[in-house]
Amino acid sequence: MTDLIVESLSLKAGDATLVNDASFKLSPGELVILLGPNGAGKTSLIRGALGFQALVSGSASLGGQDTSKLSPIERARQIAYLPQIRPLAWPNQVHDVVSLGRFSHGATLGKLTGSDAAAVDRAIVACDLTHLAHRTTDSLSGGELARVHCARAFASEAPLLIADEPTAALDPRHQFRILDLIKSYVSNGGGALLVLHDIELAARYATRLIWMKDGQIIANGPPAETLTPERISDVYRVSARIEAGRIIMDGAL
Amino acid sequence: MVDRWLTPGLCALSVLAIFAACLLGSTAMPIERVFQAFIGGADEADRLVVWTIRLPRALAAFLTGAALGISGAALQGLLRNPLAEPGVLGVSASASLTATSALYFGLVAFNPWVLPFAAITGALIATALLAFAATRTQSVVTLILIGVGLSSFSGALMSLLMNLAPNPFSLADMINWMLGSVANRSFDEIGLALPFIGGGVALLLATRRGLSALTLGEEAASGVGLNLQHQRIWTVLGAGLATGGSVALAGAIGFVGIVAPHVIRPFVKHDPARSLVPSALLAGLILVIADIFVRILPSTNELKLGVVAALIGAPAFVWIAMQRRAGHD
Repeated sequence: MTDLIVESLSLKAGDATLVNDASFKLSPGELVILLGPNGAGKTSLIRGALGFQALVSGSASLGGQDTSKLSPIERARQIAYLPQIRPLAWPNQVHDVVSLGRFSHGATLGKLTGSDAAAVDRAIVACDLTHLAHRTTDSLSGGELARVHCARAFASEAPLLIADEPTAALDPRHQFRILDLIKSYVSNGGGALLVLHDIELAARYATRLIWMKDGQIIANGPPAETLTPERISDVYRVSARIEAGRIIMDGAL
Repeated sequence: MVDRWLTPGLCALSVLAIFAACLLGSTAMPIERVFQAFIGGADEADRLVVWTIRLPRALAAFLTGAALGISGAALQGLLRNPLAEPGVLGVSASASLTATSALYFGLVAFNPWVLPFAAITGALIATALLAFAATRTQSVVTLILIGVGLSSFSGALMSLLMNLAPNPFSLADMINWMLGSVANRSFDEIGLALPFIGGGVALLLATRRGLSALTLGEEAASGVGLNLQHQRIWTVLGAGLATGGSVALAGAIGFVGIVAPHVIRPFVKHDPARSLVPSALLAGLILVIADIFVRILPSTNELKLGVVAALIGAPAFVWIAMQRRAGHD
């Protein structure tokens, strides 16, 4: 069983503490959503956990191995990572971009072998990209491009997925579509950790919420237990109430 | 369909162009006499013209172009920028500087091989510096800026040397090297540059798959399993060796490393890895044709190949730069 286990992780940039003493676990079958305001340290926590950034203290392990000691290929086979979406360098074909998800399995663009080609095809079908497979990425809408990145992550067929704001700048319908895709990945046995800014959407999909504020994890548990008006006020510094299961935010504190 | 025929087509065109380069010149030679000369028949004068003048010159032009084309394509993939090129990263300039220094200080008088070795040394110093910088910085922009700095510094030192040139002959020699030319190249000179070009090309081809992954950006590429630091080091080293070899052979010839990959990219679905071989072939082909043009042009002073390449390449560079969308750094 592949688990990502982060224990007492701390990260600094110069003198500034980005993450302080954070611990959490991600296992297959879970959809964990990381919440917190801008600058809370969500992206830093993810980068530290994946071994992209040197830790000041603490540890992060994947399937029992220290992530900072894993080779990029070993890491990629166990965990698919979608950083915040950046424009692609070249106007590649959708099929090629999804194929890059198989990089850690040795896939070469234009010469996919049987199992790689099959995984890419499955991911393209799952993300409803069949009709776009031969389009170039510079001709896609934001929602389509987000699905391409999801497909790339799914194509790797890694047991875990970490995505940093996969629904950023998407309209409500496309946000739902992306989260539905990730939900079906989880119900098929994957484990996902997502950074989101939409609390309602997070509460609707997450099996567990991790709340971050000022570099620290201040709560970690199912939405029913951790989602309270006080916590929203504390973490986001907005006045909030929950009425009939709806979160209503009235303004900045 | 196009991509399947691209590489074989460019191979065929390159062979044709090199053959044409043996036919054409100040005095054109009929096809049957060139054929005869190739297989060792014909008279001695024909064999001399084909084997010691025209063929080595055409091959030198092709090799120089191929080395620059593949280096440009690989560096563009690495830096995710269509304007990256050995010239931009200061590799060509550094190689030219060491070559010019060897001329200036008269080291070439001791042994003719000093000159090519000096060029390769310069390229390797520049690439070693870039490789070192690449292990210490995550930023592509920083790497390009280091290249610009290297390039400007080498340019300044080169101007200084020309400024101080003791006599018009050494000045003429230096200019020859700076402008880039394949005139009077022999198989011996090709033989000395070939191991470096070949080694660089082999390194670039062996590590090209990572360039595809870099399309996603560095963090995502690392996320799909690419070892970023290794990729940077191998690509920079491969491009350095190939470029050093090309400068040793022909001096500094700019822009062909930008133009060829730019033309090739749409035919290989914009995949940097698949652009390497066709870019090398096209750049080689361009220089062979440009060199034929240089030779048959009726001018009192033969035009330098590097000048012709820049006359075509520099406007293309500006045009490509203007096509860049604002969203791409």
